[in-house]
Amino acid sequence: MNKRSLLSFSLILALAAALTFFKVPLASSQGVTLVAAQVSGELPMTSPDSELWGKASAIEVPLSAQNVTKPMLLNTKVRSVTARALHNGSQLALLVEWADDTQNDEMVRVQDFRDAAAVQFPLAQGLPFFCMGQQGGNVNIWHWKADWQADIAARQDMETLYPNMDVNQYPFAEGALPAPADYTDPNYVPALAVGNLFAAAHQSPVEDLIAGGFGSLTSQPADGQNVQGYGVWENGKWRVIFSRALTSKEASDVAFAPGKVYSMAFAAWDGANGERNGQKSTSQWVSLQLAGAAPAARPAQRAAAPYDWTGLAFVFGPMVLVAVLILGFAGSVAMLAAWTKKK
Amino acid sequence: MRPLPPFFRWLTVAALADWLITRTLTRSAIFMPKSPPVIAVYQALTVIGQLAFTLTALVALIVIGWIAFHEWPREPRAHRAFGIPIAWLSLLALNLVFLVIPPQGWLAVGHHLLVVAVVGMIGWRTWSGAEEIRKRIAWSLPALALVAGELYQLSQTLFEALRWPGPSPFATTIFNLGELFVVLSPVGLWWAYRRNVETRPGASLLLPATLPALAFTVAHLLNPALTAIIAIWSTGLTLYLPWPVYAVSLWLAGDVVVSLRRSAAPATGAMLLLAAGGYTPQLSTQVFLGLIALWLLALPFDARSVSAVPSSRGEAWPQLPSSNALPQTAVEAPKP
Repeated sequence: MNKRSLLSFSLILALAAALTFFKVPLASSQGVTLVAAQVSGELPMTSPDSELWGKASAIEVPLSAQNVTKPMLLNTKVRSVTARALHNGSQLALLVEWADDTQNDEMVRVQDFRDAAAVQFPLAQGLPFFCMGQQGGNVNIWHWKADWQADIAARQDMETLYPNMDVNQYPFAEGALPAPADYTDPNYVPALAVGNLFAAAHQSPVEDLIAGGFGSLTSQPADGQNVQGYGVWENGKWRVIFSRALTSKEASDVAFAPGKVYSMAFAAWDGANGERNGQKSTSQWVSLQLAGAAPAARPAQRAAAPYDWTGLAFVFGPMVLVAVLILGFAGSVAMLAAWTKKK
Repeated sequence: MRPLPPFFRWLTVAALADWLITRTLTRSAIFMPKSPPVIAVYQALTVIGQLAFTLTALVALIVIGWIAFHEWPREPRAHRAFGIPIAWLSLLALNLVFLVIPPQGWLAVGHHLLVVAVVGMIGWRTWSGAEEIRKRIAWSLPALALVAGELYQLSQTLFEALRWPGPSPFATTIFNLGELFVVLSPVGLWWAYRRNVETRPGASLLLPATLPALAFTVAHLLNPALTAIIAIWSTGLTLYLPWPVYAVSLWLAGDVVVSLRRSAAPATGAMLLLAAGGYTPQLSTQVFLGLIALWLLALPFDARSVSAVPSSRGEAWPQLPSSNALPQTAVEAPKP
């Protein structure tokens, strides 16, 4: 490498180091954005076949196996989900679809695993780790479970799978033919008495959770379970709708507003493949944008205030800075070249 | 004939460092035990990888600017020749705009179309030139892979911009077709550039040429799921084709790069840049690497000129014709 090349390379390397240090990006990428179309009237919260879904653009989100923490299963089956979103100014509905050859909605026997899907939203500024968040970066998770969906129609138990089974005795149960439903005394059903979601009859197939890293997944209290869901399996495909009011009183719930952009991530489980808990397919963060204008109060405030030039400076400032840096660099190289030539 | 400026070589080295460190090694590190020394090495590698990435992005912008300047016609009446430099400059300008305005909606559609247009223009020149048919085919395979990757992303962007209910029904087909072209590209390049070269790599070079294919084969046989995950992180390839196809393709790529490493063959640098760019690249810099590689492949080269004796370091990159009227008329006569 001659002297001129060495000088040029040193300058470029120094500039690259400065740009790295000050975190100035020189590359751009087009993120995946799910736009929630604004519609009027009721949202199709239990109707994946509704024509209203045709008003929402679908995105295909690639998934890959969770492979960061144990237990992990590297050959998960769900490779992608298709997502659509609608909102009507007060409620948000998400339709998530994925291919699955089998319908697994029983979780009675130890060898049974359910099909499931989840969406998660960061609760803090910035993007925490896309898989369950991180310490200081909590995420709100909506977890739809196929067996909970089936339980709402008819609660499943051993008798469902083995109708001819016989139990000799249910201690402390009352009734001529004792059965689990006969346990009415809360002293003998403590989980039910304290509102354990897993013991109570499911009001919704979606569990509303919060997490801040691996091993921190926590159900929200029973009275804070405010996400609705509905799933249908047909012709080798699950179609699941998540719905919730845009706003929520709880701090552990994500709140939405039209015109704003949020981050979200997807996860899916194929029960037939033995997928459960951390053995799942997950996506990276994608953007969720709620169509429509931002809340009405803001334009009025803007109109009253003088024009804010800071936004413009924010847009063009870095562009001018980068242009000046590149021009300055080119000028330096040219001057050095001229100087070397003269010498 | 004059050699290409040195920043083409810097770009290749930086891009390879970024690809191998940031997108391959540090991502694979999540499968390693997290002992303090490993974490310290991982953090150091991350910093080096970030620097390599910024360097790649910076030099790629300089190279794009240089290509636009080089392609700019010196004769004012050559109106038709203005198309390519203007397209390159538009790409450069759009990338600067994207630094502050995220590429979404119609702006992103425009960017994808511009990339396809640049590939189309270079392709038009290549196919209307005087190069051998096998060189044209060899150029077309990675070009088709790049175009397929862009069309795959364009289909999603277009559906989003038009607010159409999607996703595009052809997206997966286009993606898979593009991956097929990626796998075929080394075959085409080997056929066009390596086949007629009389030199054969010695035993010392046989190992480096075979090593990537061998490593892939062993990794796949030991743990196919893990290999597929690292492959998609590192290169964007999903490995949906039978694994021997990828192994053969990798071996041919290694053979071309090692055999022609000191010749003036554009295939060497171009193949390294294509590998570093990956398939369906998400970052603008990676798209630039693919475009620069295609531009390099369109430069004239004669395989028969490759000598058994490595040439001097100054000739390690393809030579440019002295006139800036590029390749179609500037085929170099075979050297004795």
